[in-house]
Amino acid sequence: MARPKHSDARSRRIGLIIIAACAVVAVPALVVLFAVAGKSSSPWFGQYDPDTHPAYNFSLTDQDGRTVRLQDLRGQAVLLAFGFTRCANICPTTLGNLAAVYRKLPPAAQERTKVVFISVDERDSPATLKEYIPFFNERFTGLTGVPADIGTTARAYGAFFRKADAVGSDKSDYMIDHSTYTHLIDPDGNLRVLYRFEQLPETDKIADDVLRVLAAQPPKNQP
Amino acid sequence: MKKFLCLLFLSPAMIFAGDLKIEDAWIRAVPSSSKSTAAFMTLVNKTDKPVLVTAGACPVAGEVRPMVTTKQADGVMGMAFVENFSVPAKGRRVLEPGGDHIMLMQLKEVPKAGSVVSLVLTTETGGKQGRIHLEVPVR
Repeated sequence: MARPKHSDARSRRIGLIIIAACAVVAVPALVVLFAVAGKSSSPWFGQYDPDTHPAYNFSLTDQDGRTVRLQDLRGQAVLLAFGFTRCANICPTTLGNLAAVYRKLPPAAQERTKVVFISVDERDSPATLKEYIPFFNERFTGLTGVPADIGTTARAYGAFFRKADAVGSDKSDYMIDHSTYTHLIDPDGNLRVLYRFEQLPETDKIADDVLRVLAAQPPKNQP
Repeated sequence: MKKFLCLLFLSPAMIFAGDLKIEDAWIRAVPSSSKSTAAFMTLVNKTDKPVLVTAGACPVAGEVRPMVTTKQADGVMGMAFVENFSVPAKGRRVLEPGGDHIMLMQLKEVPKAGSVVSLVLTTETGGKQGRIHLEVPVR
């Protein structure tokens, strides 16, 4: 009868020793691991540009017919994407994701964030954008302009587009191949972070980047 | 168990018709100005032959066709029609935003979020035609 008791106590002791040994090895190993991970990984989710590159100061027309220059948006973080309203798959995915990013921002940060969609399609008018943009968010801005201004703006942001095949039998219903990057411009008007299309579903992480960009340039105090 | 199987059978997210099982089908709600939208789903092939999805029909669209998203290294994306979506034997194919999709074109009315739209897919297995009737939620 005494034997099992003795062996119980012993195995308990051995167990404790194993747990202690594991802790001795594991705790410093984890500390080192976190330190290395923290050092090597950027806090930014998108591709961050540490240098200061002013974003091109476009001057285009929004869905209400007003002229909008990037310069007018100083003090706000700007999420900027290019596309066209007849785009059935890519652009609604992009804008849907950006709408989710916007919803995740606290109200004060929303006040200081602008989501801007520049149409690369000459068929899109302010009226077309007026029907299209508010579907994703009432506060988003859709921009259009004469083809020369759209071309200059797209080139300045490294965006590419070209007419593609018509969808179906209606030849005027052609598609446009276009680049799918989203830029995050900081409140001082500099290109700061770039997102690939595939990154856009990670709306929490993009919202964190937006907050980080806003925190780096706190709002100017009113005199 | 019987009840569970019944529920499984009735669940709109899982529709088995002929050679393909369709999971998680949905149509994207789009702005009222839109001329087209897309249907997404997972096509599951239970058979040991490849199944092709060749076309479709939908009361709200003039034309329904399979479409792939093309992507170049520089991030330029576009869309291209394909003759069919081939679902490999005992395999699956995911149609998802930013990727392959069933394109609903020449919309006669723009489907509203929360509504349900009928969609028929035409399939082909070893030269044999089939049809899948779906009731697809819009969201």
